[in-house]
Amino acid sequence: MAEAQNRPVTIVVPFAAGGGTDITTRAMQQGMGESLGVDVVVRNAEGAGGTIGVAEVARARPDGTTVAMAPVGPLTTQPHMNRLPYDIDSFSYVCLAYSAPTVIAVRADSPFETLADMVEYARANPGELNFAVQAIGSIPHVAGLGLAAAAEIEMTYLPVNGDGPALRALLDGSADLFIPHVSFYSTNADQLKSLALLQRTRLDEQPDLITAAEQGYDLDFPIWGGLVAPANTPSDTLERLETACDAGIQSDGFQDRMEALRQPPAYMGAAEFEAFVRETYATNRTLLEAAGLISE
Amino acid sequence: MDLLILAATQVATPLTLLCIVLGTAFGVMVGVLPGLGSVIGLTMVLPFTFGLPQVPAIALMLGVYCGSVYGGSVTATILNTPGTPQSAATALEGFPMAMRGEASRAIGWVTMSSMIGGLFSVTVLIIVGPALAKFSLMFTPIEYFALGLFALTCIAGVSAGALAKGLMGGALGVLLATIGSDPVTGALRFTFDSFMLTAGIGLIPVVVGLFAFSEMFLRILKLDEPGMDRTTMKVGFSLPPWSEWRSRIGMLVRGSMIGSFVGALPGTGAATASFIAYSEARRTSKRRENFGKGEPDGIVACESANNAVTGSALVPTLSLGIPGDPVTAVMLGALVIQGIAPGPQLFANHMDIVYALFMALILVNFVMFAVGALGASVFTRILRVPEPILIGLIMIISTLGAYGVSGSTFDVWIAFGAGVVGALLRYFAFPVAPIVIGLVLGPMLELSLRQGLILTRGSFLAFLERPIALVLFIITALVLLWPMLRWLRSRRA
Repeated sequence: MAEAQNRPVTIVVPFAAGGGTDITTRAMQQGMGESLGVDVVVRNAEGAGGTIGVAEVARARPDGTTVAMAPVGPLTTQPHMNRLPYDIDSFSYVCLAYSAPTVIAVRADSPFETLADMVEYARANPGELNFAVQAIGSIPHVAGLGLAAAAEIEMTYLPVNGDGPALRALLDGSADLFIPHVSFYSTNADQLKSLALLQRTRLDEQPDLITAAEQGYDLDFPIWGGLVAPANTPSDTLERLETACDAGIQSDGFQDRMEALRQPPAYMGAAEFEAFVRETYATNRTLLEAAGLISE
Repeated sequence: MDLLILAATQVATPLTLLCIVLGTAFGVMVGVLPGLGSVIGLTMVLPFTFGLPQVPAIALMLGVYCGSVYGGSVTATILNTPGTPQSAATALEGFPMAMRGEASRAIGWVTMSSMIGGLFSVTVLIIVGPALAKFSLMFTPIEYFALGLFALTCIAGVSAGALAKGLMGGALGVLLATIGSDPVTGALRFTFDSFMLTAGIGLIPVVVGLFAFSEMFLRILKLDEPGMDRTTMKVGFSLPPWSEWRSRIGMLVRGSMIGSFVGALPGTGAATASFIAYSEARRTSKRRENFGKGEPDGIVACESANNAVTGSALVPTLSLGIPGDPVTAVMLGALVIQGIAPGPQLFANHMDIVYALFMALILVNFVMFAVGALGASVFTRILRVPEPILIGLIMIISTLGAYGVSGSTFDVWIAFGAGVVGALLRYFAFPVAPIVIGLVLGPMLELSLRQGLILTRGSFLAFLERPIALVLFIITALVLLWPMLRWLRSRRA
């Protein structure tokens, strides 16, 4: 183990470079490296909704040199839907590194002003609303399932390939709504309108976004990610990584970047993060099961 | 006007100019190496942009972007190993021309056409950017399906003389594209319980395998494709004279227009554009009987088209915030990090940034020409490297390229497999480009068809009610019937 401490740490990002997860991870890179006293390398291993990269870390040697920035989907929704070479017990949990709510977004010129307007329309016209889904089993998809269940409405699901294509589907009229991450929403706020923030309390940074809870629907669907190491990583190694993660998040570089992305900061230590993952894992199973998306 | 001057002062700083030159040179280098394409190049410089001010950061990314699209064509031409799918079509004419001993001239055609295509699309971006973005929104999944169907007709264009073999290759490409998770239901298809296959077959490893590895395997076996003569080549850079350009201006403009149009539609890209331009050139050229033997018309069409995509792909990226492909997605990520939010407000409130970006893009295209012209003597000299060493180097670089896309050894095996298959196919005179066309268009066709059917609630007939789609369907039919029409006309005459 002594040698492992002096070796560079690789953070596997299971999505493409330039995306939110990638940029967030790269923003932590320097602060983490300074805390650990070794180089921190970010490597993108994309594919299959993020499960390829996460699986790679599940199989890696548990010496703390390979960790993943594991997002919510590959950790808490994908394992229910597909047979994967890992599950939530395959990891030692290090920290939650980012978390931000999603919003229900419609076009800026949409006739809907509130969630109630949309629900009313959807009830009068079952299946008429087209809901653009960035990926099957992703959090936006699960959030849409949650909305449909809570409001007792039927929507038509239009699968697209990510946030950009979902925005296009809204702008070209193919879709009526989609559920982006709040930072994607703010970046494109001039073309969009938010009907509801899917978080229980309003955001300090953007207090004008009205929550779903205020409109009578208890919907809370954040998009988050955190560092995980392979299961059975020694506890002193995990502690070093946890301290480094905290240092990375506290660093000025990280805070500035999050501000540029308009992403509210978030952090959880190892124990809290693990409990949170297990709870979300169970809730998402219920939602996916109710929607008939779990075959076994 | 003030904004223009402000933008000019931001571009004309030593730092920005340095970023343009270094970015472009680095982009060309990345493009030249097989397998390392635009995305990897941009990803590598992305962390450097974090510490740069806005304009130099943009300039650096633009340089890498345009340079890499151009660089891929250089290797396609001199070694028949297009490292990027965008330049696969260029190899069809560029390599035979280099084989004739005219490598320096072929590079001249490539470089000049690339610059003009690039500048054309910057002009498009400047003059009609926001309007073109609005037009691109008239393309719903139904129109995309119609466009994809039209693009499939390229298979006929790139496999003349071996149409049945070409169609089989195209079908193979489309089938390979279905491996992985179903885009609509998420169900797994043809994965044979292999977890790695759930991500599907990557385009880059297949391209590296089909072109670079298969070419090297064939060279190792000393089994040339039938009728190919490898002679010693002239090194350096040679611009074709005006007399040869004059009759090809039409090709150049048409290629640039095809590239600019296709590029403006998110989700299509430079590979599609260059294949469409190639088969369009092959159909309309007065010298069509020279195609496949190193006809400059083909190079001009492909190169003006794939570089014209660079400017126009920024149209939806900047004015709508919709990146068209992984390349523009990384560009967009870099802009957002710089605090530049894309969308209509960018053009309303930050025209200085937009102007600076235009100017940088124009400079990038000139620098690209200079890098190409200066680099040509190095590139063409590669051909003088003893064959065994050259093969070894290319094998190593291609393996790295296949690995580098997503850092997976599985992709390296895919590339080797595709290399063996490609070598066999080429030995039996199967064109390999149709496989790439099928693989590029397959996912887009499938997704747009199924999205379209969701939107029309399951009615195929409703596709014909959309005017743009209907026009595209009719054009597709006409293109397919074209040889028959020509035959009928010649019989009457």
